[in-house]
Amino acid sequence: MDDVLRMTRAQPVHLVVLALIGLVVLAGMYSSDRFATPLNFANVQDQMVALALVALAQTVVILSGGIDLSYAGALGLLTVVFASIAGEDPASFAAAIAVVLSLGVFIGAVNGGIVTFVGIHPLIVTLGTSTILSGLALLITRQPTGSVPLFFEDLVYGRIGMIPYGTIFTLFLYLLAGFLLWKTRLGLRIYAIGDNEQAASISGVPVKSTKLIVYALSGFLAAVTAIYICGRFGVGDPRAGVGFDLKSITPVIVGGTLLAGGRGGVLGTLLAVIVLALLANVLNFMNVSSFYQWIAEGLIIIAAVSIFVGRKSK
Amino acid sequence: MSMIALFGKNSGTVRAQQNRELLLLAGFLVVIWAITTALSPRFLSPANLSDILLQAAPLGFVVIGQMIVIIVRGLDLSVASIMATVAVLSIGLNDNTVVIFAVGILLGALIGGINGYLVAYRGVTPFLATLATMIVLQGIRFAYTGGAPGGTLPDTFRWLATGDLFGLPVALILLGLVAIAAHWLLEHTVYGRRLKLYGDNPDAAYMTGAPTRLLVVSAFMMSGVLAGLAGLVLVGYVGIVDNWTGRGYELDSIAAAVIGGAALSGGKGSVPGVLLATLVLVSLFNIVVILGLSIELQLVIKGSLILLAAAVYMRRSRR
Repeated sequence: MDDVLRMTRAQPVHLVVLALIGLVVLAGMYSSDRFATPLNFANVQDQMVALALVALAQTVVILSGGIDLSYAGALGLLTVVFASIAGEDPASFAAAIAVVLSLGVFIGAVNGGIVTFVGIHPLIVTLGTSTILSGLALLITRQPTGSVPLFFEDLVYGRIGMIPYGTIFTLFLYLLAGFLLWKTRLGLRIYAIGDNEQAASISGVPVKSTKLIVYALSGFLAAVTAIYICGRFGVGDPRAGVGFDLKSITPVIVGGTLLAGGRGGVLGTLLAVIVLALLANVLNFMNVSSFYQWIAEGLIIIAAVSIFVGRKSK
Repeated sequence: MSMIALFGKNSGTVRAQQNRELLLLAGFLVVIWAITTALSPRFLSPANLSDILLQAAPLGFVVIGQMIVIIVRGLDLSVASIMATVAVLSIGLNDNTVVIFAVGILLGALIGGINGYLVAYRGVTPFLATLATMIVLQGIRFAYTGGAPGGTLPDTFRWLATGDLFGLPVALILLGLVAIAAHWLLEHTVYGRRLKLYGDNPDAAYMTGAPTRLLVVSAFMMSGVLAGLAGLVLVGYVGIVDNWTGRGYELDSIAAAVIGGAALSGGKGSVPGVLLATLVLVSLFNIVVILGLSIELQLVIKGSLILLAAAVYMRRSRR
């Protein structure tokens, strides 16, 4: 039990978010009979997989003291490339997966390379590459294009009871990331760099290669997300990533990870993704327009950040 | 370094470096203009040049505000949302041009003040504080309009954005006045020196007795006011009040500020530099259109330019 706690690093933040999940679920059950149904829960999970995957990538980057705003452009380009290559036959599908995963890693490595070796602020770097990538995606096609094999769509839409395969896959990746962050030397280094880059460097952490790996990992996860999105929508859309740059940050912050890096973890992010998805779902049941949902989202960010800041200064 | 920090950034070497950066940027502008003119003489036509300037005007306001915030180690992601919200609310509430501008400026100052309060007094990262206000404002404005674009503009508005006064576009005269005022504030007042000193070294600024929290709040307020003005000018230029007025300006303004020599680490930035960078950005957008290139190339060029400029300044500041 102790080990489990260590592994997940249960923190007061997690309890707060768990309590929020409970509140939202209660509100949902109160507001509609259709809320607490297997169909709706599966629906909520389908809604949150893509965000959960991108937020996972963002969590790792933010823990290392960086930030990755390139998903907006990267997801667009990656989905377009994937759907263009993938045909009905398994061979081209496998080729598409290989190409897109490599491209994702390459994009991430370019981001990481510029951040580490040229020394530009990651915000500016990924803003620049995101702009370039969305330009490239739109140069390839202005309309959604391509297709994915039926068996892949079936896989993405498939579920066991009320658990979509996508959820199981996401949980698996979160566990893997948790293991990576808490049980491996790489994870320790990521936290060390995020906490204090200079101190980490002095104590012998290979700062540059670690950062490079972090951004490459982020690009890899972006590619995984892009493949999932293609499976959901059946096409590659150059605008698939619009909004994901900033959307990916909200769950990380609400989940208690410090934007400055070094503190937090993937469990908080996962719980925050669940809270945000459930909240959107419940507000839909309550017929609250998405306009007010925006207001709620912004206020949640402010509340989360102010509370955590208050705790830190004690 | 600490001596430079103590005396503000106005020591000779820094100023010389800033001048070199300005020259570099101006040289770049001349080169791309020359190449485009060689390829398409239409580029230098008065109509096209005036187009470029009119498009640069709204962005120019935002960029100056963004730069002031960046000088105090901040970042304002809410500028585009402020532009649209100010335009929608102040024009929706009234149809008298003077009242609209007064309401717009107050609203911009209020929103900027909230950003500044969150950053300076609550210790929220500027990125998150302004991200949150960006989303909240989006919700407020859509809730107010019900999502529909609308609102007619008083004629004075069109004149402000597209009309002439003494042969000069009114929007540009406005921008010029704002630019001169901002330049004077930054380079020739104690307040401006304190802003830069704070960006260089917040602790040092605190030691000198500067009201550091108020400095930060004031920077965000200026950004809010300038974004509000930009929203009104842009609405006048486009001719309709839209919920997405100014979309993309948050990133364009950061890009122009960085290309113009402002450093995200704070303490650095000049009005002539960022205005020149604004002109470079808008010129490049225009060139893509004039040369009949695919419009998506604008994005590729913009992104490359951001990276290039940041890399160049990085190398310089390391020397």
